[in-house]
Amino acid sequence: MLSVLIAATIALFPLAADQPLDLKAALAAAQPGDTIVVPAGRYAGPLVIDTPVTLVGQDYPVIDAGGSGSVITVNAPDVTIRGFEIRGSGASLDREDAGVTGLAPRLTVEDNRLEDVLFGVYLKDAPGSVVRGNTVAGKPLEMGVRGDGLRLWYSAGSLVENNHVSDSRDMIVWYSPDSIIRGNTVERSRYGLHFMVNENVLIEENVLRDNSVGIYLMYGDGYTVRRNLLFDNRGQSGYGLGLKDVDNAVVDGNYFVANRVGVYNDHSPLSPNATTRTENNLFAYNDIALWMLPLVEDNVTAGNVFQENGEQIALAGEGVLRNNLWSEAGRGNYWSDYAGYDADNNGVGDVPYQAQSLFEDLLAKHPELRLFQLSPATDAIDLAARAFPLFQPRPKMTDEHPLMAPPVLPAVPGLTPAPLAANLAASLAMLAAAALILVFAVRRPRRTTG
Amino acid sequence: MTSSLTTIWTLAQKEMRDALRNRWFLLYTAAFAALALAFSWLALAGAGIAGFAGFGRTAASLINLVLLIVPLMALTIGAQSIAAELERGTLSYLLAQPIGRLEVFLGKYLGLALSLLAALALGFGISGLVMVLSGSGAADPGAYVALVVLAFLLGLAMLSVGFLVSALTRKASVAVGIGLFLWLAFVFLGDLGMMGTAVAMKLPIASLFAMSLSNPSQVFKMAAILDINATLDILGPAGMYAVHQYGQGLLAILLGTLALWAIVPGVLAYLRFANRGDL
Amino acid sequence: MIEYSHVTKRFGKFTAVDDLSFAVQPQEALALWGPNGAGKTTAIKCLLGLLRYRGLISVDGMDAGKNGKAVRRLLGYVPQELAFYADMSALDTALFYARLKGVEAGRAQEALQQVGLAEHGDKPVGALSGGMKQRLALGLALLADPPILVLDEPTSNLDAAARELFLAMLRDVKRAGKTVIFTSHRLEEVEALADTVLVMDGGRLTLVCAAAELPDRLGLRSRVKLRLPASQLERALAVLTTAGFTVSRNGVGVLVDVLPDQKAQPIQTLYDADVEVTDFEVL
Repeated sequence: MLSVLIAATIALFPLAADQPLDLKAALAAAQPGDTIVVPAGRYAGPLVIDTPVTLVGQDYPVIDAGGSGSVITVNAPDVTIRGFEIRGSGASLDREDAGVTGLAPRLTVEDNRLEDVLFGVYLKDAPGSVVRGNTVAGKPLEMGVRGDGLRLWYSAGSLVENNHVSDSRDMIVWYSPDSIIRGNTVERSRYGLHFMVNENVLIEENVLRDNSVGIYLMYGDGYTVRRNLLFDNRGQSGYGLGLKDVDNAVVDGNYFVANRVGVYNDHSPLSPNATTRTENNLFAYNDIALWMLPLVEDNVTAGNVFQENGEQIALAGEGVLRNNLWSEAGRGNYWSDYAGYDADNNGVGDVPYQAQSLFEDLLAKHPELRLFQLSPATDAIDLAARAFPLFQPRPKMTDEHPLMAPPVLPAVPGLTPAPLAANLAASLAMLAAAALILVFAVRRPRRTTG
Repeated sequence: MTSSLTTIWTLAQKEMRDALRNRWFLLYTAAFAALALAFSWLALAGAGIAGFAGFGRTAASLINLVLLIVPLMALTIGAQSIAAELERGTLSYLLAQPIGRLEVFLGKYLGLALSLLAALALGFGISGLVMVLSGSGAADPGAYVALVVLAFLLGLAMLSVGFLVSALTRKASVAVGIGLFLWLAFVFLGDLGMMGTAVAMKLPIASLFAMSLSNPSQVFKMAAILDINATLDILGPAGMYAVHQYGQGLLAILLGTLALWAIVPGVLAYLRFANRGDL
Repeated sequence: MIEYSHVTKRFGKFTAVDDLSFAVQPQEALALWGPNGAGKTTAIKCLLGLLRYRGLISVDGMDAGKNGKAVRRLLGYVPQELAFYADMSALDTALFYARLKGVEAGRAQEALQQVGLAEHGDKPVGALSGGMKQRLALGLALLADPPILVLDEPTSNLDAAARELFLAMLRDVKRAGKTVIFTSHRLEEVEALADTVLVMDGGRLTLVCAAAELPDRLGLRSRVKLRLPASQLERALAVLTTAGFTVSRNGVGVLVDVLPDQKAQPIQTLYDADVEVTDFEVL
């Protein structure tokens, strides 16, 4: 069937030297529901698709717009674009130059490589679309003038799955309720995933590493964030996950590792009867694990592991947290700095865990003093506060049922171990250097000349 | 020239041998190594899960440890360097030999600097091994090595200050006393004072950052965090201001400041030592 | 070989050496004689480059102030107060200074041998007796076989036997053709070693004479004869020797050389040490 079609198209459109197919002519001639198989080669963009067709590339034919406009613009519904290398869009943020601009429902963009494009895939009023298995590498521009790797705009019920985005600005899902974002990797970008005004969005098993912000949820209801890896998201206002004015968010089974801030809670939940549930997550080695506005209430935080964060709980401003639950059904969280005991051996500590530090309290009031983090002077302040309880501040929060051992959490995708051999070599080299100096020191000068 | 180098190396070797017999130096080195081991172990051993990613936090603990111990070590041995030999009378005998004062100064400095380096390499090496054994480590081991280099630079800065103290005093006990006071000043009092000033005077973060450059410990800390994290966001608004304001140049500013702290007191110490006519 | 011209050294308001000028000929042994505080050691320290001074000191035609290192290469220095690194062995000390002086390591053992310490090379310097330490200092000074020896009160800390041995060694060194300059307030050192004596007082040069003339020129022939109980005799000899007197035994008493204006000094010294003096006589 396919070969017949290829034969037909080739017969219809004679070969050029480097371009075995006149793609624009083929598109112009296509009937709704046609499949156009495009052989390997280079094809000049920009392409405009006005008919519901399926474009299938063989061995990733290249479509290159030569640096102006969008490479492919889709005006018809039910279009599929699969297996292309799409490159060379313009660089105009005003015109929103993109690799693929989808302006009609149910577009499928699958298994393409998008390179040197300002925006990658831009779905604008394209509900029910599928973006799957693409790689997007942005233009090497300053962060502020980059485009977004993927942008969903008024495209409800879309599926964004297994894409890999790097060196882009943001990946944006705005006004697109009921969408699923799953298994994507976003790295070295600004906002790994930025959501605005959505309902019932599922965000799972994504890997967000080395961005400024991993996932940022702004406004909306019913976000589920589960089993994602948020690793080393840093920079100005860098967070693993930001929750701004969202209701009923469920944050479950994620790994927040080595971020500036694991989760930043800016007034979530917003509505009176809503909650935020933060459960079964790993917060490890972040500068701050949980950073909350003091007015945040109705959060349930239980079953999480707080492992060796610079600050387990920090407040953005003066005050203490109220009306939040730090344990559920008699089980709280694991805190690596918990110094209590478990006499009855039920796995739950017998004295509450309290986040309490004079210096951290000072930081909440005077954030500029963070400049002195890690200085022994800050340890001295806390030591003094412990020695003279008069200075000890009120605890920021209390977990009545701290866990004695970290619960076993299911693994998340995207964890890559450090290069152990190289680290071993570096460590041994240091020890060898120390030994060498020692040898020089103890070696006696030669007693006779040879 | 060759004989100059032989002289310097001979004196350096003797300093290293002395450091090895210096009970304070050994105590600090042992404390540094033991605490480096303990910190890495505590940060990583219990976790299991994602422990490999603990490098950043372990490095932060090590930075904290370096800030506490390296200035103490360097100031103490630096303060003893010239004054102790002057007091024992060995210095004038040494200077009566056919060697120059620059050679004596450089030999002593080199020997003590290498002793410091050995102590640092030992502590960091042990910590690195613990990390590797717990399946952790730097994504880029070069950053870990750079951390040692930065700690060494802080050590050199403090060593130079110690030498300056030593060159200005006649008694080792006085020199060490001043050295310990300077340690308190650099490690605790200076930072506490700056914190107090910042809060009381509501200093703008630009001024706070500029003020913090006056403390070599702070400068080392910022350079080290920049090395490990590539940003200073952990240091809050002032840190972010610095990164934003100076960008790629920030590391050069920090390294330059640290180098000045090593060079200026060192040169002053030498000039004082070279022109001392009362030995 | 060595020439001081108008050398002045002040410590604040105190003038330790005042316009000192003299010359030492090759192979000559010159003593700087005088009481404590006369400026002898200060004059030596200027030569060694340990002190800044006004005036000029030249050694073998080189300005000691400007070419200190080159000048010190011609000098072997034996200090008054031994200040070695006490925990280094004698041989390691010799090896250390051999390297600093740029002589081959084999010289270290030779130098120890030369001063009779070959057997003691492995002992820490701190464990050596005073005499051995002083010999070690001499050995170190001779490591590079320099033409000039500079000694500061070379035997003042030694007991009689050690002093005898050490002076004998110094005489050998002098016979071997070295130029020697040393400070002293002991007549026997001057008599044993010096060709010429410069007498200093209050930082100034007061007299230059041949060593043999010194006692007469200074009226040092004053001698006191002390009579003591026989049981105290040995102790009195020891006390006086330690105090720096030249003493000899004479029947039931002792003969002590004294300065003409300090004839009661030995009696005072013995009295302080609880040694009874029954009678005395100025000879």
